[in-house]
Amino acid sequence: MFDFIQAVLDGILFGTIYSLIGIGFTLVFGVMHKINMAYAAASIGAAYIGLVSASAMKAASAWVVFGCSLVAGGVLGFLVYLICFHLIPLRNENATLMSTVGMLLLADELISHATTGAPQNYPATLEDVMFRFGEMSMRGDLVVVFGVSVVCTAALLLLLYRTRLGLATRAVAQQPIAAQLCGMRVAQVNTLTFVITGVLGGIAGALICSAVGSLSILLTGPLTVKGLIVTVIGGLGSVPGAIVAGLLVGGLENVFQHFRGVTERDMYVMLLLFAFLIFRPGGIFAKGQGRD
Amino acid sequence: MLELERVSRHFGGVRAVDGLDLKVRDGEIVGLIGPNGSGKSTTVNLVTGLFSLTSGQIRFRGQDIAPLPTHMRLQGGIARTFQNIRLFGQLTVWQNLWVAQNSPADRAKRGFFSRWLGGQSGVRDEIVSLLEFSGLAHKQDELASNLAFGEQRRLELARAMATKPKLLLLDEPAAGMNSEEIGQLRERILKLRERGLTILLVEHVMELVMGVTDRIAVLNFGQKIAEGTPAEIQKDAAVRKAYLGGDAAAAEGGS
Repeated sequence: MFDFIQAVLDGILFGTIYSLIGIGFTLVFGVMHKINMAYAAASIGAAYIGLVSASAMKAASAWVVFGCSLVAGGVLGFLVYLICFHLIPLRNENATLMSTVGMLLLADELISHATTGAPQNYPATLEDVMFRFGEMSMRGDLVVVFGVSVVCTAALLLLLYRTRLGLATRAVAQQPIAAQLCGMRVAQVNTLTFVITGVLGGIAGALICSAVGSLSILLTGPLTVKGLIVTVIGGLGSVPGAIVAGLLVGGLENVFQHFRGVTERDMYVMLLLFAFLIFRPGGIFAKGQGRD
Repeated sequence: MLELERVSRHFGGVRAVDGLDLKVRDGEIVGLIGPNGSGKSTTVNLVTGLFSLTSGQIRFRGQDIAPLPTHMRLQGGIARTFQNIRLFGQLTVWQNLWVAQNSPADRAKRGFFSRWLGGQSGVRDEIVSLLEFSGLAHKQDELASNLAFGEQRRLELARAMATKPKLLLLDEPAAGMNSEEIGQLRERILKLRERGLTILLVEHVMELVMGVTDRIAVLNFGQKIAEGTPAEIQKDAAVRKAYLGGDAAAAEGGS
């Protein structure tokens, strides 16, 4: 029983990263009604640039790496927007889907070229620290993951719900035409959305690599898939949905792993996706059932 | 204030607006009426930049605005409401007005931080007075999507006002209103004129159009078929024909 609770707890701690990635996907979808397939790959890319630039500064501490990844994430977010969205006519729905898939593959190639395909050691935040509560224990680095993710999410929610910029972003998402007629610049809001989600992605990427202990090209694929699953389960465009769905997927993933082993784990996560698509296609917080 | 000169907009073979000339002078309330599909809404969309012109010219305060994107037209002082209400549904009433305060004067007042991050001082009084004007003061913290239909229409008008326009385009503001609400709307429109606004009113509800406008232009098949004071328009034979159909007008004329 304690093993089970332990699995759920670890999963939820790690799930906050999925929440961050899900927020990135869902925010772009909410504002532009487009999927940015390159998001998770760009996040890992940012984590790599963060690692390289921190070692170039001879500062290999995890926190410096995090800071560099954050900045790199913002820059990459801007580049992805520029190349895959701004320069490509948005009128064609599939054009940006293809351009971001292309960017996903390109980012993959770039990372695997730069790392020559080998996993890179990634600094841990709290190595070999364990917090114990009776029978239960928490890995220190997972607690850091949890803490950083919660702070980032809270900052984002404050931005979206309490600041003028955030309200303008949500206004553009809800009524793009009326927003323009109220003087909001849609292109500016779109750019900022990509930079902000890029920053979140950079942090999430660095957190994952740090929790896993290494940065490898093998991370981008699963992370893209998990991010999309979280986005769908949370409901496309819903930030609170993505947060809860990230925790849900993280928790359940670890439970599946606990009972069925790591090889079967992702199969059940996929089944969870289909269960949602069939029974709650609008996501966790959808009002009523319905596909519209 | 606003001049349309031989303005046309074609969608494929359909001439939604075809060679329209229209002038709205400072401080005037001009009505734009016509049967369904006569090009009224297209005209509003052309002025606000949602559609581009096929040919012709639109001048606002002497400046050709055809090349300007929508958000720039707003900064020049054009605002509108929509036939099908387009509020920011998940924002509160207060927030709907707050995010709309984007006039050059308002922008200049804001420093970097308050521009992006908040700081409601200075704009608060204006929002309060807009809320009072539209009778929504008690609803300021409601989500816009939770408002009743009439309240949503009032909020949309208040939001347009929050952009500090000089020219206000109202696209069927009375649609779906009962006659008491239409009376209130008329009062409100007249008050806006007292504040110095110029208004272009697109409307089906004759009760409102005849009651508030100085001048009315009538469209049919994208062309202007009549223009004059409300009294003149009511008597115009071409207008009757467009509204009642050829036979009805003939029958009426014959009796």
